[in-house]
Amino acid sequence: MAEWVNQILKVDFSIHILLILKVLFLIVLFWAVLALFGSSLPKQKMKFNYVLLGWIFCGSLFAVLAYQSTWQLGGMARPEFMKFMRTYNRRENAASQQSLRGPIFDRRGMVLAAPQAGSIWKRRYPLSEAAVHPLGYYNFRYGITAVERASESLLSGLIQDPESLAKSILLKRAEQGGSVNLTLDSRLQKRAYDLLRKRRGAVVIMNPGNGELLALVSSPGFNPQNPAPALRDFKGKPIFNRAVQGRYPPGSTFKIVIAGAALNNGVSPTYNCPPGGYIAGTGHKTIRDSEYYSAQRKEGTWRGWGKINMKEAMTHSSNVYFSQLGAACTGEQLAKVMQSVQIDQEICYFNGSSGDLKCVAGGMPKLNSRWDRAQCAIGQGDLLVSPLHVACFTAAAANRGGLFAPKLNLQTPVQELSQPFTAATAYTLKVMLREVVKRGTGQGIDLDGLDVCGKTGTAEVSGAKDHSWFTCFAPLSKPEIVVTVLIENGGYGAAAALPVAKELLLEADKLGYIKKSRRKRK
Amino acid sequence: MIKKKGTSLFRLLMLVWLVVALACGMAVLSNFQTTQKLPWEPLIPLIIFSVAIPTTVIWLKMLGWQGDSGFVGIVFLLCGLGLVTQIRLSGFEDGLVSPKALLPLPIGFFAFLVGVTFTGGRRGKWISSAGWPAYFAALAVIAVMLIFGRHYRGGIYLPGLINPSELIKPLLVLFMAAFLANRAKAFSETQIGIPTPPLSSMVQLIFLWAIPMAGTLLLKDLGLMVILNAILIVMLFAVSRRSGYLALGCVAVTAAGYGVQIISSNARDRFAVWLHPFADATGKGWQVLQSLSAMYSGGMWGAGIGAGDPRFVPIASSDFVYAALAEEIGFIGCILVLCLYAILFVRGFRAAGLIKAPFERLFCVGLTATLAVQTVFNIAGVTKALPMTGITLPLISHGGSSLIVTLLVTGLITGLSDTRR
Repeated sequence: MAEWVNQILKVDFSIHILLILKVLFLIVLFWAVLALFGSSLPKQKMKFNYVLLGWIFCGSLFAVLAYQSTWQLGGMARPEFMKFMRTYNRRENAASQQSLRGPIFDRRGMVLAAPQAGSIWKRRYPLSEAAVHPLGYYNFRYGITAVERASESLLSGLIQDPESLAKSILLKRAEQGGSVNLTLDSRLQKRAYDLLRKRRGAVVIMNPGNGELLALVSSPGFNPQNPAPALRDFKGKPIFNRAVQGRYPPGSTFKIVIAGAALNNGVSPTYNCPPGGYIAGTGHKTIRDSEYYSAQRKEGTWRGWGKINMKEAMTHSSNVYFSQLGAACTGEQLAKVMQSVQIDQEICYFNGSSGDLKCVAGGMPKLNSRWDRAQCAIGQGDLLVSPLHVACFTAAAANRGGLFAPKLNLQTPVQELSQPFTAATAYTLKVMLREVVKRGTGQGIDLDGLDVCGKTGTAEVSGAKDHSWFTCFAPLSKPEIVVTVLIENGGYGAAAALPVAKELLLEADKLGYIKKSRRKRK
Repeated sequence: MIKKKGTSLFRLLMLVWLVVALACGMAVLSNFQTTQKLPWEPLIPLIIFSVAIPTTVIWLKMLGWQGDSGFVGIVFLLCGLGLVTQIRLSGFEDGLVSPKALLPLPIGFFAFLVGVTFTGGRRGKWISSAGWPAYFAALAVIAVMLIFGRHYRGGIYLPGLINPSELIKPLLVLFMAAFLANRAKAFSETQIGIPTPPLSSMVQLIFLWAIPMAGTLLLKDLGLMVILNAILIVMLFAVSRRSGYLALGCVAVTAAGYGVQIISSNARDRFAVWLHPFADATGKGWQVLQSLSAMYSGGMWGAGIGAGDPRFVPIASSDFVYAALAEEIGFIGCILVLCLYAILFVRGFRAAGLIKAPFERLFCVGLTATLAVQTVFNIAGVTKALPMTGITLPLISHGGSSLIVTLLVTGLITGLSDTRR
């Protein structure tokens, strides 16, 4: 019997019946009131005081009713009441100000944040700490951050104009806020976070063809439902989104930009790289290749690379070569390319209904002296960038030199930001970066059939272990994915960051982000 | 002389039944929507209601009653709305309607019929001699409450949450009607608009009134005290036809309000909440603010019966039932419900105005005033228009004893409205 009824009364259907019943109920109640009012006693002369008593009580009832309307209908004009409602109203079905906050989805429609029954302030985050940095948190006490904040008006469905306010009083109010679709892939996001294993670091995964961010991870994360411990942790700074807010020296990954700057100007010199290194200016430290130091540690001798071209230098990440190349470039040439890859810009990566989210602007070094330019060329000195910047210039190299604005919002149109490299430059860069993986510093990531191109980076930090960078893209022929990994104080680039990037490329391949047909042809 | 109203009453009650059945269906369906279960238990009270209607019609016909059928219709309609709210509030939570929630209604309907039988036609003549016994009965009830009563949520109850103090109201009304009926002339004397009854009558009245008032003070039942005094003022006005009593009453009530605030900390709290509800929003202001939140959530059209969340309002089933109702039937529904109450009072006072015998007329005024005063104070308290007084909403609140006594009172008024008198 019950099943039979269940079959007939499908949930949607019962909503309609309920609506009809509600209207019918009010009509019949109104009819009843009219009937009960109309069936009057015979007309007879009444003493004045009995009529007056009736009027007094009717009057007081309707005075109370008028007062009631200032709460029931005009409650939104009472700020203190609204504050109370936001805080303590435990109803799920709700009016404009306390409507159910809309959900946030990833690119496949998987839930990243969703309202939870019980309180308007409660929110469910299936990825929890893995996606807390791009999503932010929504907390009564600690406020609203990141995408939750930038999409505030859309998610909460706030009614602002008077016309819809009047409508909301007359009709049923907005039931649920709008939803936001992000370009993230929750699986990649989760995998990247897991691979960082709570080490301090960041991962950016991007589609170079349109700028979509498939993963934007910062580690360590924290529980978005309870940000309190994270806010107090001043040592690990989990609250800090390293992927977009962190500023780090890019190390050797920046050689991509320097090589691009030189190639744009048609310069591709051969330099002598002696074991003694390169002295960019008097009174400055000698710039040496890392092999010099490792040979020193093993008490062997380093003979230097000798006369090498740019391709060889990139393959082995020769500091001596690139510092000479940087010194040879003019300051304007370098600055132009760096501005073109947005190093000095706060790159906007999310356009929301209530604001934009931007990454931190990188630190532009002085480029006056040879020493400054040499330091810049090997990604040291005053040069500072965020992992998103690194992902951006890698994407530019991958995408025929064109840089698409990174975006997290699936609804934002694709926008080409700039053209840092010429197509020919980008092609040469790609080939060089492929060599890096084939037989150079990035050999560990030469995955079968993926034609990975990449660049390691080891950024010196005074007084601590080096930052470990790895930035790569795949496949060579038509790059479809850029992976940038940073691990703070992780040491050599190939040691810490590269294995993470490798696993992520494998995962992305498994999830179909790298198209098989092209790989087979290659 | 007067057209027979029997058929008309039956037709009205059928309409009332339709409203209640619709509301009941809505509650059950809303429950189905959230839990995917169709409870059959709400049918029990609906069946009780369905049986009560024909029984009442037949009983009134047997009595030969020719009174105000509109009044009876409103009583049943309000009762029905209360019933649906009750089903909705208590029924769904444990999956079935508890017998405790089921009992007051049949007993109440029986009390209604008893009331009609008492005062209907010429049968009720003997009540006029029951003034003094009623007075002492009221004092006895107060005494019993003082000795055996237990404090629970600001009120005093006998074991099992029976609250016989509800009886005090009709008993004292009966006494005052008998007392004032013989002294109509004395209390109508005025000088420049100010009532100046002879000293002897005044002293008698004040002395007799002070004893039950002291009792209610000892019971710390401020709500009861407010109601009784308001009823007294209405009755004095009715008997004397001097509006000076109303003005005097208003002054006295305001003064008493300030006085009580000094004596009782409970009253002080209620005044503070009334004036500054947000000062202690999660503590003392919580209840009334949750009640207002419920109303706001209901908005203009309401969530629909069974679709709201009145469980968040504390004591939603008795004192704050109006908030639960407002959330589910919306402001439009509230207007209609208050219209029903308004018609009920107008008809009650009208019935009184048509009675020639002074005692019965006063009795009818007093009983109607009991309903009216309680309604105004309850709704004003729930909407924060006035401080909370802890009074139930007549006919819709299912507080057990209050429902039974209210139905008895409406029964008495129904009997008094009999025009064969």
